[in-house]
Amino acid sequence: MSTIIHAVFGYLFLLLIVRLLSRRPGGQLTLFEFVIVFLIGGLIILSTVGKDRSITNCATAILTVGLMHWLVSSIKGRFPRFGAVVDGTPLTLLKNGEWQLEVMKGMQIDREDVMAAARTKGVSSIYDVSYAILERNGAISIIKNDK
Amino acid sequence: MATESFTKPVENSVAKVNDEVAVGEDLEFQRKWWRFENAAWVIFTLIIVLDVSGLFGRGPLAKAQRRTADGTIDVKYERIERTDSPSIMTIQFGPSAIQDGKIHLYISNSLVKALGTQRVIPAPQDSLIGEGGLTYTFSASKPPASVDLALQPAGPGLFDFTIGVVGADRVHARVVVVP
Repeated sequence: MSTIIHAVFGYLFLLLIVRLLSRRPGGQLTLFEFVIVFLIGGLIILSTVGKDRSITNCATAILTVGLMHWLVSSIKGRFPRFGAVVDGTPLTLLKNGEWQLEVMKGMQIDREDVMAAARTKGVSSIYDVSYAILERNGAISIIKNDK
Repeated sequence: MATESFTKPVENSVAKVNDEVAVGEDLEFQRKWWRFENAAWVIFTLIIVLDVSGLFGRGPLAKAQRRTADGTIDVKYERIERTDSPSIMTIQFGPSAIQDGKIHLYISNSLVKALGTQRVIPAPQDSLIGEGGLTYTFSASKPPASVDLALQPAGPGLFDFTIGVVGADRVHARVVVVP
């Protein structure tokens, strides 16, 4: 029973922490960020299984986390507002050639990050970008200027 | 047998930016989220500060000391314990605790069960059950003399305990065990 409670708490706590950490520009995790994610996961495992390292206990913990994720995904599908809380919403960084400074400051994104995304689309000048959108997965979508 | 699948016509329901690009942006929600984020980081910082100070155990605020009025024992313990985490309770004996080269120390059952006494250091010569607890007998010469109890609580809760030398004043105290 305590394993299930710990697993549910661990899942919700991890969800909150990951959500609070800003979306990575370009959707790319650095090596250090990978280490941070594993470190957080490892710390939650310690509390979840405790001293009982039996297959039964570990399987219970895995099933609980799996069930929690299925539940969160189901609620996200049914209630878009809940999806926005869990995953965030897309945000416009550049709109018709104008930087959206409030969004960029809030999401801790530099103009260089937007230009890096533009270069991957073969765009060499910011004047050729009409819209830059920070997606929910952290990627930056670039819409070119047709004019 | 053919099965009927669920279908729905395409709707242009995703919110557009400048009536041009369907992004689905919700800036008003995002502003609320940023306020929540700022509050969350402040709360997290506060939790860390409280943790360092010992409010969740293992810090200056968690340490406690109680002494009986007759000076037979002085107990150093942690008033805030953590589940499954080991800690030491030290009982120091005054001169009046030693009778005929022996100390008879009574500890309540809550210390043994709820607070999870794992070891008694040094090992007692004898132990006697009764009066809702255990009475340990130690051979002793002259003070200073002390006994350590290695504790490891099994679960969270609020637990009262009693400890004292038989026939003398006793210490009654409360320990909070956090998850």
